[in-house]
Amino acid sequence: MIGVYRALAVQQIQIMLQYRVATFLYALFSFVRPIIFLAAWLSVAASQGGRLGSFQRSDLAAYYALSILVTHLTTSFDFFEFEWEVRQGRLSPKLLRPLHPLHYAIVNNVLWKVVTAAMVIPVAVLVALTFGARFHVGPIDIVLGTVSVVLGAALSFVFGWVVASAAFWTTRVQALVHFYQRTAFIFAGQIAPLALLPGPLSAIAYALPFGYMLGVPTDILRGAHDVTTSLLLIAAQAVWLLVAAVLYRIVWNAGLREYSAVGA
Amino acid sequence: MTELVVDVHDLTKVYRVHERSEGLSATLRSVVRRSFREITAVSGISFGVEAGEVVGFLGPNGAGKTTTLKMLSGLLYPTSGEARVIGHVPWRREDGFLRGIALLMGNRTQLVWDIAAADSLRVLQEIYGLPEERYRSTLRELTELLDLGPLLGKPVRNLSLGERMKVEFAAGLIHSPRVAFLDEPTLGLDVSMQSRIRGFVAEHNRRSGTTILLTSHYMDDIVALCKRVIVIHHGHLLYDGPLGELAQRMAPYKVITVTLHDGAGSAFLDELGTVVSREQGVVVLRVPRESVAERTARIVRDLEGSLADISVEDPAIEDVIDRVFAGAAVPPRS
Repeated sequence: MIGVYRALAVQQIQIMLQYRVATFLYALFSFVRPIIFLAAWLSVAASQGGRLGSFQRSDLAAYYALSILVTHLTTSFDFFEFEWEVRQGRLSPKLLRPLHPLHYAIVNNVLWKVVTAAMVIPVAVLVALTFGARFHVGPIDIVLGTVSVVLGAALSFVFGWVVASAAFWTTRVQALVHFYQRTAFIFAGQIAPLALLPGPLSAIAYALPFGYMLGVPTDILRGAHDVTTSLLLIAAQAVWLLVAAVLYRIVWNAGLREYSAVGA
Repeated sequence: MTELVVDVHDLTKVYRVHERSEGLSATLRSVVRRSFREITAVSGISFGVEAGEVVGFLGPNGAGKTTTLKMLSGLLYPTSGEARVIGHVPWRREDGFLRGIALLMGNRTQLVWDIAAADSLRVLQEIYGLPEERYRSTLRELTELLDLGPLLGKPVRNLSLGERMKVEFAAGLIHSPRVAFLDEPTLGLDVSMQSRIRGFVAEHNRRSGTTILLTSHYMDDIVALCKRVIVIHHGHLLYDGPLGELAQRMAPYKVITVTLHDGAGSAFLDELGTVVSREQGVVVLRVPRESVAERTARIVRDLEGSLADISVEDPAIEDVIDRVFAGAAVPPRS
């Protein structure tokens, strides 16, 4: 399998080099939105004496600087490509090979994140320095935060594929994707850190999977939780990942029965 | 008995299609109550293919050929029926099955558009786990047969249709499948390229013994490659047998071509059969098979000195197929 991943990685790098500009433009999404929200919340905090709930200016800066990186690492974009593959019949050649289509996406996903991280990391550092971010991070937070980011990325990836699999039934996956992304926008920790969401919304956010893709790993990574809380949140991520994997297996197998390879 | 590498029993595929009448009211009604229509693409077909055979799959557009190939390659689940290909149920898509088959579609690419074909082939080498020596020897053979040398280094998007098809063949056969399903492999190619692809398929089958199930709208492909054909129409299997017997089974007539000396009258030929054409002293007649001997004798006897030449043949395979698909002939079920 290592050989397969290496060959797919070489192929993917060649494609990315063909479309250099597009590759880096997509990476812009990782940091444009967090910077806008940081600026907005800082001005709100300024009007309230420099604090917003339990967050000081430096905490907000730390959260959004890290969320630039975490958004980049945990983002999922496979639904768009998958819908196109199903509609154009491009999925068929992949289904005919002894390699699950998921593997192509894993390589694509990881490689894009690694390559464009070179652009995103300096921006995150710049934002942290510019807005005076303050981290309360020990080695254990970095270890747990890293585990949480990996789980968040896996969760986002697998849930992305569950949504993408709707392409087996409908040719208008975009509508579902928009619904999914708008919901994530509210509950993942993009619009505000999970702790700053108004009471019921915060509770809902911790009950849904979206927060475990962004807000939770970001908070663990910036040292916002004690070790016990972090471990509990990581356990919740693992449970959601298991749920997503089971859901994906069910949806994928049912979807293959529906696949009519239209036009393929 | 030779091993059956493709074994199909009562295979059926029914598509459920959303249906809506025209007009705004029908559109609004369909929002709350959707109506569906069932379309039977393949209806209870059964056949077997032995190892090493090249079988032509004939039928007009919408006959069910491609749907059948997709079911046999594991892309589609059938509505009912059974099939085994190299010992596997195709739609379970088991590893051993996927390593042993290939499906090539003339109108679809399996190659990555933006990179050189050679790079796509390397990825396939890893996916199929082909040892370097085996990969190189297969690629060498395919390069020789398809003249791929100058093409492998070019991005696929820069290849002409014919060149791309050659590279598609290389990608489809690099893992030396036991069974290859070829769906319109010469579609859109010029005559010369069609001929080269045909030559390649025949030679590859001869060298490697790959079993081939081929669909094509070009009868030249079928005649050149297939000793056996399966005819399918409206999802039903109409004929399964030797190509040479197709005309006998499906066309109840023969064609008598009569060439007359200059100025000779031919009106009396109208009584002996259906005149298909009459040009510059050459009259082509369609005559029922059972009357051919008697009518031929009458022509020779009655035309005497006016007759320059006469020949009796089975109708052209294209004509037979056309008549079957147009509903003019209702052949017996095999």
